[in-house]
Amino acid sequence: MKLIKQTLWITLTVLTVGLGINVPAFADPTGLEIMQAVDNREDGDTLQQNIHQILIDRNGNKRKRHMISFRKDYGKDSKTIVFFAEPANIRDTALLTFDYDDPNTDDDQWLYLPALKKVRRISSSDRGDYFMGTDFTFEDMKQTPELQDYHWKLLGSEKIRGFDCWKVEGIPASNDVARELGYSRLVQWIRKDNNFTIQAYYWDQAGRELKHLEIPNLTQIKGIWSATSVEMMNIQNNHQTRLEFSEKLYNANLKDRMFTQRTLKRGHR
Amino acid sequence: MSSIFSFIVRRAWWILILIALITGGFVSQLSSLKMETNIENMLPKSMDAYTNKKKLEKVFSSADMVVVGITNYHNPQGIYNPHTLQLIDELTQWMKQHKEFQTLALADLMSLSTIKDIRGTADGMEVEQFMERPASSPEDMTRLKERLIDNGLYMGSIVSNDGKGTLIVVRPSSEYVGHYHDIYKLIKNKVDEINARGGEESILITGRPIVEGVFGVYMPQDMQKMQPIILALLALLLFLSFRNIRGVLIPLAVVILSELWMLGTMAAAGIPIYTVTTLLPVLILAIGIADSVHLLTHIRTEAGRDTSSDKFTAIVRAMQAMWSPILMTTLTTAVGFLSMLTSQLLPMRFFGIFAAVGIIYAFIITILFIPAIEALLPNREKSLDKLAFTGYIQWMTRLTLTNPKKILAAFSILFLLSAIGLSQLHVNSSLVSEFRPSDPIRQADDTLNKHFAGTNSLDVMVDSGKQDGVLEPTFLSGLAKLQHRVEQEAVVGDSSSIAEILAEMNKVMHAGNQKYHVPPDSSELAAQYLLLYSFSGAPDDFASFITSDYRQAHIRIQMKNDSSADAGKIIALIRANAPQWFPSDKIEFAGTAYTSTTFSDLVITGQIQSLLLALSLIFILCLLMFRNLKDAALSMLPVSLAVIVIYGVMGLFGIALEIGTAVTGSMALGIGIDFAIHYLYRYRFYNIEKSSHAEVVTACNEDTGRAIAFNALVVIGGFLVLLTANLYPQVKLGALVASSMLICYLATCYLFPILLKNEK
Repeated sequence: MKLIKQTLWITLTVLTVGLGINVPAFADPTGLEIMQAVDNREDGDTLQQNIHQILIDRNGNKRKRHMISFRKDYGKDSKTIVFFAEPANIRDTALLTFDYDDPNTDDDQWLYLPALKKVRRISSSDRGDYFMGTDFTFEDMKQTPELQDYHWKLLGSEKIRGFDCWKVEGIPASNDVARELGYSRLVQWIRKDNNFTIQAYYWDQAGRELKHLEIPNLTQIKGIWSATSVEMMNIQNNHQTRLEFSEKLYNANLKDRMFTQRTLKRGHR
Repeated sequence: MSSIFSFIVRRAWWILILIALITGGFVSQLSSLKMETNIENMLPKSMDAYTNKKKLEKVFSSADMVVVGITNYHNPQGIYNPHTLQLIDELTQWMKQHKEFQTLALADLMSLSTIKDIRGTADGMEVEQFMERPASSPEDMTRLKERLIDNGLYMGSIVSNDGKGTLIVVRPSSEYVGHYHDIYKLIKNKVDEINARGGEESILITGRPIVEGVFGVYMPQDMQKMQPIILALLALLLFLSFRNIRGVLIPLAVVILSELWMLGTMAAAGIPIYTVTTLLPVLILAIGIADSVHLLTHIRTEAGRDTSSDKFTAIVRAMQAMWSPILMTTLTTAVGFLSMLTSQLLPMRFFGIFAAVGIIYAFIITILFIPAIEALLPNREKSLDKLAFTGYIQWMTRLTLTNPKKILAAFSILFLLSAIGLSQLHVNSSLVSEFRPSDPIRQADDTLNKHFAGTNSLDVMVDSGKQDGVLEPTFLSGLAKLQHRVEQEAVVGDSSSIAEILAEMNKVMHAGNQKYHVPPDSSELAAQYLLLYSFSGAPDDFASFITSDYRQAHIRIQMKNDSSADAGKIIALIRANAPQWFPSDKIEFAGTAYTSTTFSDLVITGQIQSLLLALSLIFILCLLMFRNLKDAALSMLPVSLAVIVIYGVMGLFGIALEIGTAVTGSMALGIGIDFAIHYLYRYRFYNIEKSSHAEVVTACNEDTGRAIAFNALVVIGGFLVLLTANLYPQVKLGALVASSMLICYLATCYLFPILLKNEK
């Protein structure tokens, strides 16, 4: 029975290839399988890093921010605290985020404003909202989009900067999802060797190409693959955002009390 | 000269073939003619209205917006009902899906479906869309309405205060600059589709790009419609005058050929047709006909005077008598138009050049084609006394000879009235009021301006000169003071700036306490509010108000109309207070309101210059022709009177001086001088031949008086056809040129005989 099935598959493959119909070889994983692998990629239980955020507007004006960020995973949920160091007028501003894996639970976010000396709660954002004036939406910042939001399809293999990549297309599962996320289509290029997305293109609701994501360099720290910088370019308004990461430290022992409103107010010492 | 005319008459076929060949050459060029409707391409690039507009687009990504208004007067809840809200959402999403619109930033597409509320909550600030999804339950409606009123930023600008209407304000894509009419058609089709489904709402389309786009399309359409009417009118008048087919077809052939040559030249030179230059064909038809009428009348007079000589001799004699006054009137008309070269506006310059070119072509074709065709055709059978206007000419002659005092008194009253009117002349321009009140565009604009903050914008850009300078409390309070002051003016519907938004944030961060509805009192606090906002807003939500380095700010002032005079007042008000509000900052103006004000100033100064230039050049030409100071001065009298009368009439009737009406002066000058030249020329001729003043006037009126009467009738009739146009610039131009021609005619034929009386 198994033999018959295999023979049938081979025949079918030979036939379709022979007919010039370009389908991925049957041994290839599906688009969804690839995305699941990306989603399950190891990213450490805690992470401490310096972030330099550079916003470049269409006239080439740059705006830079320097932040120090800490993340700790709690199962599938995670907590993040970010302290702003520069520019001077937002120094000591700090952001605390509780990120819940359950899509039905809104994330919790608090911001400490030193000029008011008060902690303010930030309303939960839509996943399609832009994050902190960057070209990334909240959804873009995640390791992978919510997998059930898209129909994933493997388009084939391509070489990007010399790396063999899967080319996977995502089409929103419904009009509502498209509207919420602001995309009508996305394509990701994923390195076959480490399941890391190193390039992604996004199309807006009118079907026009909207943004390009590039991750130029990956390094391995304590065996964990990690980006040294990411760039998101809005090709419609030529606004771009570059995030540069340095002094990354994975799996350090971060205390739970670090992720509280007290610490938020006290600031990073 | 006579040898040239003999040659033309004897080699008539050669001449006709030559004309046919040249015409063929020009016609072959016509297919490359292009239309230019982009107003930007008409401005001189050095003008600050142009450079500031470009800066506004580049630095603040701010441009003129298309406005779609949705009103619901049938539902007691106004727009707050599921059907209307659904419709707003449908239109908004539809725009997002069309590349004709730029919908990237919040400021690019503002509607109930995109605008965001900044609200204070118990422990923070919340930024979210007023309407994530179209509200449907009665509770949602009430909540939406309350939130809009509580927020206040969008009352009047996006939602009308009475809740009966709402606007969708969208930016046209930059690729569609100059093709705004296509955007209008696109939206119109969508609206028609919505209307076909039925519903209580009415949907209105306007906004500066739409007004400009539709204007640009109406103008040539009007002119195409007008062309056959004018040709028919000319044919009728020619027939009444000459009473045969020949007398109709020959002059018509001359003007149609002139028009083709002129358009062919334009095409060959690669010059596009602008809205103003669409008037040219009509102009050439109405003015170019004069030369051939004068010449034909004279050929007929010569043939009648001496029936013994053959037709060749009669033609040559008529040519000899007429070539110099015709050349003269051609030159004076051309000079009148060429004086428009002093204008800084490209379309005005091309208008002047090509009107002159067309008139010169009409002259060349007249003196080549008419003798040639006359020589080939059999002798005219009709004699002079069968000609038209005979009764009228005799009546006019009697009147001028017997009632000089009454005529002088009439002209004096006219002059006095005009002088009074002249003192009330004002400068203003408004594109929207150039549409007829029944036009959908004008109705949409009027309605929306009545219920909303205004569809026209005056933009002010202030540069603090240093990074984060806008966030300084003194700078922010300067912005707030400016807004507060201009909003007291009736013509200002609303204004917005980053100061207003920061004040709103300050309020919500202090538990909605109205006391804190002022800009933050420290630069740090302002920066932290903007950071806080950025957690829920898009990167460029405020890009149209503040540059990303927080150095420059933009205040948008919404005006209730597009009157350049009203905008001028607001600009003057801001300029006067700027040293107080922004002691050390650089302030610049832009936007539709500023452009039209500058444009208007430019048109007026340009026209005054060109009018003075035309007056002096025409005077010099007359001096060269008559070699007599008195005759030259006399020939200037009717046109000068006409110019004073038309501007006086404009003053009396409250018609403002603007781009369309300002050109009438130089046009009237160039065309109207012809009557005086023809009259004086013949008067001098008969003055030698005849013994008494009465005899000279009678002979003169019978001959050139008849041709002038016809000439005046044609020009006046031709310009009166413009009254049927869709747009007021043509209507006003038509009425004003026609009345100035009437004045020129009356002053020439009724005043000259009286003023020349003492000479005998």
